[in-house]
Amino acid sequence: MNIVARLKTKDEIQNMIDLGVNVVMLDTSVFTAKSIFPLNQTAFKEVFQLIHNHKINVYVYINKMIHETDIFELNAWMKFFKEIGIDGIVINDYTVYVIAKEYGLENKVIYQPGTMNTNTFDAMFLEDKIKGMTLSKEITLEEILTIVQSPSKIEYSLVGHGFIDMFYSKRQLITNYFIHKNKKNYKIKNNHQFVLEEKTRDSIYYPILEDNMGTHIFRDKQLQSFEELIQLKDYISDFFIERLFIDDVEYYDTIKAYQNTQVQQKFLDKYHSNFNSGFYYLPTEKTKGERHVD
Amino acid sequence: MLTELLAPAGNLYKAKIALLYGADAVYIGGKQFSLRARASNFDYSMIEELVKFAHDLNKKVYVTMNMVFHDEDVFGLDEYLLELEKIGVDAIICSNMIVIEKAKALTNLEIHLSTQFSLTNSVLSNYFYKQGVKRVVLSREASLDEIKMIQSKSQTDLEVFIHGGMCVSYSGRCTLSNYTVLRDANRGGCAHTCRWLYNLYEGDSLVSDDYDFQMSSKDLEATNQIKDLLDLKVASLKVEGRMKSIHYIATVINTYRMMIDDYEMNCMRPIEQYQSEIKKAENRLTSHGFFEGETTIEQQLYNSRSEVPTKEFVGLVKAYDYENKELVIQQRNYFEPKDRLEILMPDKTIIQLQAGIIRDEEDLELDAARHPLQIVRIACPIAVMDNSMIRKII
Repeated sequence: MNIVARLKTKDEIQNMIDLGVNVVMLDTSVFTAKSIFPLNQTAFKEVFQLIHNHKINVYVYINKMIHETDIFELNAWMKFFKEIGIDGIVINDYTVYVIAKEYGLENKVIYQPGTMNTNTFDAMFLEDKIKGMTLSKEITLEEILTIVQSPSKIEYSLVGHGFIDMFYSKRQLITNYFIHKNKKNYKIKNNHQFVLEEKTRDSIYYPILEDNMGTHIFRDKQLQSFEELIQLKDYISDFFIERLFIDDVEYYDTIKAYQNTQVQQKFLDKYHSNFNSGFYYLPTEKTKGERHVD
Repeated sequence: MLTELLAPAGNLYKAKIALLYGADAVYIGGKQFSLRARASNFDYSMIEELVKFAHDLNKKVYVTMNMVFHDEDVFGLDEYLLELEKIGVDAIICSNMIVIEKAKALTNLEIHLSTQFSLTNSVLSNYFYKQGVKRVVLSREASLDEIKMIQSKSQTDLEVFIHGGMCVSYSGRCTLSNYTVLRDANRGGCAHTCRWLYNLYEGDSLVSDDYDFQMSSKDLEATNQIKDLLDLKVASLKVEGRMKSIHYIATVINTYRMMIDDYEMNCMRPIEQYQSEIKKAENRLTSHGFFEGETTIEQQLYNSRSEVPTKEFVGLVKAYDYENKELVIQQRNYFEPKDRLEILMPDKTIIQLQAGIIRDEEDLELDAARHPLQIVRIACPIAVMDNSMIRKII
């Protein structure tokens, strides 16, 4: 199982090597929403080569929803990825797969739409088309086990740690609110300090982030998957560790904890209040009261 | 190809109303696999009755199967698809590969891709065309300029939302409801968490005032874009709202029907007249959504939950008594003698009258029609069609 980490600066590459990261995922300046290290093609190529020189694989994160006006530039980026020999293209919008296929890159594509990879049929459907599929973030451990134990040969992955996103709007919701309230002098874009508190949920704070792609809202607590990986690690090819809203020291500690089970308890003791297990043991319901009683 | 007007229907009667008031087709949910869990979804016999009703009018019925399937949801899918084909529905609307592939393998059902897939470009629409999808429902985030570009390059037919509620998130990608109340937004359980009230903080510092940070979107209204969309010859113009009332459906569908027909006959009235008609139904405030590009505060709903309709729906005409020149009305809201009423008929005719004496079924005179669903009568010198909507002029 590969540990996939996100890079924040060029200077951090040696840290990633020292931590034993298997895959580094890079952002682009144009097609990565929630980016932490946006790179144009020149910078991307430089960082890519620095990482590749250490025989560490590099994935690119293409998670923007692709509009008609994006198609021309996306083709240019895909040609670029072909030229540099990218190891993986993590996508949110299926359009990217269709374009990647035109460049013979479909075997690099990891489909990570967040919500849509929820059943064994999807795994069978995608197995001869792309490299991998990231299982949806809202399904249970039992459902995940059913899928990964199906006969599909596709590579499975999980976004298993960190603040998981739960909302992606094209609207500039913070900017619009500040205009509505005539509030000025705030840094809005890519400001990681904003949180929401819902009226009936005191002291539960959901990070909210606005960037050039729109507005994103995240869970209040980080997902962690230490226990679950005991059952899943033999089936999972790539384990993504999300980085947003986590300081560098904690991020490095997180990577270490997934590399070495001996330090997991120490890690949890140090950061104990920040985690939950997401939907692993909490099935959602289709109608109110179907499974859960208030 | 004439552009279709497509209406929502949460139950059999709403579907018939939509078709009678000018929809060319309706979309409905079955008992399984549909996203509107709270709508009064259709069983096989209801679908069959509706298909016969629609086909007799040379109109169509589409069945939504646009939930995101978990393994536990797959049971019965094959039989369901086969039954829909046997009944003769005109298309299914789906967003999951399992439905597309099963429908292709087992049936000859026409396949439409749901907006839950958030499709926003021609590359993907053409991919789905090759996969056997006849029509795609575009993402509501597509602008009119983008729709023009997509239409010019797309092999699939395009269906465009023109009216109704909008997800604030890209459709199909939101799990706010899942996380906050464990109700699955992508399997019909959406709790509309995006419409709740929030405080916004920057770090520890409160930025908002008393939970007034709202993400709510105004409803979509495309009266200003209808001409462009008709010129583009998109296949279908879609109204959202399977949970809405018969009066809402009749009013909104009737208005867009008027617009489409008037434009095709080159006799458009001032746009304000159509907009005024729509305001007679209950609505949130409306805006053009993404049609003009990036949204602004004008597309957001701050400090306002809904707009008060300019007319109140008070009764449904069950019959016209030609002998006594009386309306037989099923009461829907309070009205009393001397109230000024407006009647909208399925053929687009609108008349006004003042309510005279109100009598019940025992011919007793009433001081008001105050009981929901009570049958009452009032005099009306003009013959009125069955299923006409009676509104009180407020």
